[in-house]
Amino acid sequence: MLVEMLKKEWLESARQGQLGWVGITLLILLLAALASGWYTSSEQQSLYQDVTNAERHRWLHQGEKGPHSAAHYGVYVIKPSSHLSVLDPGLSEYQGKVLRLEAHKQNDSLFRPSQDSIAMQRFGQLSPAFVVQMLMPLLIILMGHALLAAERQQGTLRQLLASGVSTAKLMMAKGGTLYLTTMLFAAPVLLFALYSQVTASQGQGGRTLLFISGYSLYLFIWCALTLLLSSWMRTPRQALVWLLAIWAVSSLLLPRLAMTSATDQFPIQSGREFAAKLESEIYTPERLQAIQEFKQNTLQAHGVSSTDELPFDWSGAQLQFGEQYSDQVFDRLYGQRAVLLNKQTDAYQSAAVLSPFIALQSVSMAASATDLRHHQLFEDAAEQHRRVMQATLNNYQRDHAKQSQGAFQAGQSLWEQIPAFSFSYPRIGPLLGHYLTPLLSLATWALLLLIALCFAARRLQKEML
Amino acid sequence: MLKETTQAVIEVCELKKAFADYQALKGISFTVNAGEILALLGPNGAGKTTTINCLLGFLQPDSGTVSIGGINVQHDVVRARQQLAYIPEQVALYPRLTGLENVSYMSQIAGISLSRNEYRALLEKVQLPAHAIDKAISTYSKGMRQKVGIAIALAKQATALILDEPTSGLDPSASYEFSQLLGQLAGQGVAILMATHDLFRAQEDAHSVAILNQGQLVHRLQGQDMQDVQLESLYLQHIRREALC
Repeated sequence: MLVEMLKKEWLESARQGQLGWVGITLLILLLAALASGWYTSSEQQSLYQDVTNAERHRWLHQGEKGPHSAAHYGVYVIKPSSHLSVLDPGLSEYQGKVLRLEAHKQNDSLFRPSQDSIAMQRFGQLSPAFVVQMLMPLLIILMGHALLAAERQQGTLRQLLASGVSTAKLMMAKGGTLYLTTMLFAAPVLLFALYSQVTASQGQGGRTLLFISGYSLYLFIWCALTLLLSSWMRTPRQALVWLLAIWAVSSLLLPRLAMTSATDQFPIQSGREFAAKLESEIYTPERLQAIQEFKQNTLQAHGVSSTDELPFDWSGAQLQFGEQYSDQVFDRLYGQRAVLLNKQTDAYQSAAVLSPFIALQSVSMAASATDLRHHQLFEDAAEQHRRVMQATLNNYQRDHAKQSQGAFQAGQSLWEQIPAFSFSYPRIGPLLGHYLTPLLSLATWALLLLIALCFAARRLQKEML
Repeated sequence: MLKETTQAVIEVCELKKAFADYQALKGISFTVNAGEILALLGPNGAGKTTTINCLLGFLQPDSGTVSIGGINVQHDVVRARQQLAYIPEQVALYPRLTGLENVSYMSQIAGISLSRNEYRALLEKVQLPAHAIDKAISTYSKGMRQKVGIAIALAKQATALILDEPTSGLDPSASYEFSQLLGQLAGQGVAILMATHDLFRAQEDAHSVAILNQGQLVHRLQGQDMQDVQLESLYLQHIRREALC
C-alpha cells in the first residue's frame, strides 16, 4: 500500500507543480548550506593544521630570552572542528576558535561580548542544521497538511474507507509516505553525517549516531503531528493554519521566550564586568599579604633572612605563587559564572518539553560539539595547558636563574619541555546526562504522537464522514 | 441475465437508529439477494442515507444488525466493507489523476492488484470513452465519474454494490447507460442496493422496491408485482398517507 500511495502522492504533487518547486528550493538551500559548510570547514581544517604547526614552530624558535618574557610571549591555541560541525556550526562562530595563553591572563575568550548571552539565542545562520530544523517542518506541513483533510473534504476518504481499507493501515501508509519523502529531502544531511564519520577520530561514532537519531526523530515528530492534525481537521486549510501556528510558536516564539526567561532567571555579568571583578579580586591587599606570608614562610623554611640568601631564584618562586593565587580567584569566579551559564542553558533546554525545535537544537549542537558545554571543555583544557606552561617556565626560572651571571635567559631546550597543545572532543556517552531533558523530550513527543495517531485511526474508523 | 440464486448478500434486520430525539430508523428489515437490484425509495429524511451509512459502518446502529455477505458490519467493519463497493451521488475521485490511475489506485489500496491493461479493459467495459481513460478526472462529466466508480467495483469483484442517488443529475442517455451497467453487474450475481428518488429508473432497473418513509419500511414490491403496479401512484399514496397521519 505504501508504494501505491507514494506513487499517487508523487503524481499529484508533480501535477500540482507548486509543491515540487518548494521542495526543489529547499533542496537547493540545503545543498548550498552543505557546500558552504564543507568549504568553510575544509578551509578551517587546513588553517588549523597550518597555524598549529606555525605556532609550534614560532614557540620553539623564539630564541633565547627570560622564561617570564617567554610566558608573556605566549602561544595561540586553536579549537579543532568536530566532524559534524560542517552540518551544525552551532555557536562556534560566536565563541571564537583561538585562545592566547600567556602569563597572568586566564581565558581571554571569556571577555568577548558574544559570550555574555546564552548561545541558543543566535540562530538564523544558513547551515544544514538550520534548514532541517527550521525550514524542513514547513515542507512537511506543506506536503502533509492535506493528506487526510483533503481526502475528507473531497470525499475520497469515505470512498477509501468504504472500500475496506483499515484506517490504521491507511494512516500508516500516509504517514510512511510523508516520512519517506521527508527523509529523502533530509538524506544529503544524514548521508553527509555518515560520510564524515569516516574522517572522524576514533570514538566519535556515538556523536554521529546521536545526530542521525535526533534528526530522524525530529522529522518523525513533525510528520506525525502533521498527519494527526490532517486527520482531525475538516478541511486542509484548517489543518494548514493550525500547523503553521504550532510551527511558529514552537520554532520561533518559544525559543525566544525560553531564552529571555533563562537569562532573566540567571543573569550573568558582562565580560567586561567579569574582567573588572576578577582584577579587583586578584590585585588586593590580601594578595600582597599572602605574598608576604609566602616570603616569610620560605625564608623561615630555609633558615635565611633575605631572598638573596635563598638557594633558588626568588622571583621565579614568587611568579609561580602569584599565578597560583590568581588561578584560585579565577577558578572561584569562573566557576560561579560557569554554573550560571550552565543553569541558563539548562533552563533553556527545559523548554524542550514544549518545543521539539529546542530539543533538537540542543541535541544537534551536543552531537556536533558546537555548544557552550563543549566550548567550556576546550577552554578548560586550554587553561590547564596555560597553567602547565606557566609552572614549567616559572619553576625553571626559580631553579636555574640563581646560577646565571647577568640577565637569565633560557633556550629551545626549555621551550621543548612544554608540550604542544592538543585537544580532542570526548566521547558523547559520558556527557549525555547533560542533555537528558532534550533527549527525553524528543522521545516523549514521538511516543505521545504515535499513541495519538493510534487513537486518531480508531476514531476515523467510526467517524461519520 | 439474472443469476438464479436466493442467497441473501445484504441483510438488514430490525435496524434502529436515533439522532438525539429524532428516530431516523424505526426497526427496518430487508434483504438483497445475489443478483438482485433493490431500489430503496423514499422522500428526503426518510432514512435512506442513514440505512446506507449503517451498511457502510459509518454509523453504529442503536439496535438491530446489518451484514454484508454474512459478515456482521458492527463486528468486523473492515472485512464487511471488503465485500462491497459503494457509489455515492458524487463519486469521489482524485481530480489530478487520470481515470486509469484512479481505478488502479483505488483498487490497489483495497488490496486488488491487476495489470495496467486489465484496469484499462475494465474502463472500456463500462464504456468510458477511450480518449478519456488517460485524461485527468477533473475533465470528466458526472456520468463518466459514475462509470469509473463502476469500474472500481468491477475490479474489486464486490459481492454487494451500494448506490446512493446514482442517476441524480445524469442526462437520459448517461442514465440509460448506467442502468445497463447495473443490469450487467446483477447478471454477474452482485447484490445491488440503490437508494434513489428516480421512480422511472427504479421501475425499469430494479427487481424489487422498498418504500421507506419516516424511518419505516412502508411497502415492499417484488417479482411480478413490479410489473403490475403503477409505482408512482403507489409511492405517492404511501408518502401522502404517512404525511396525513
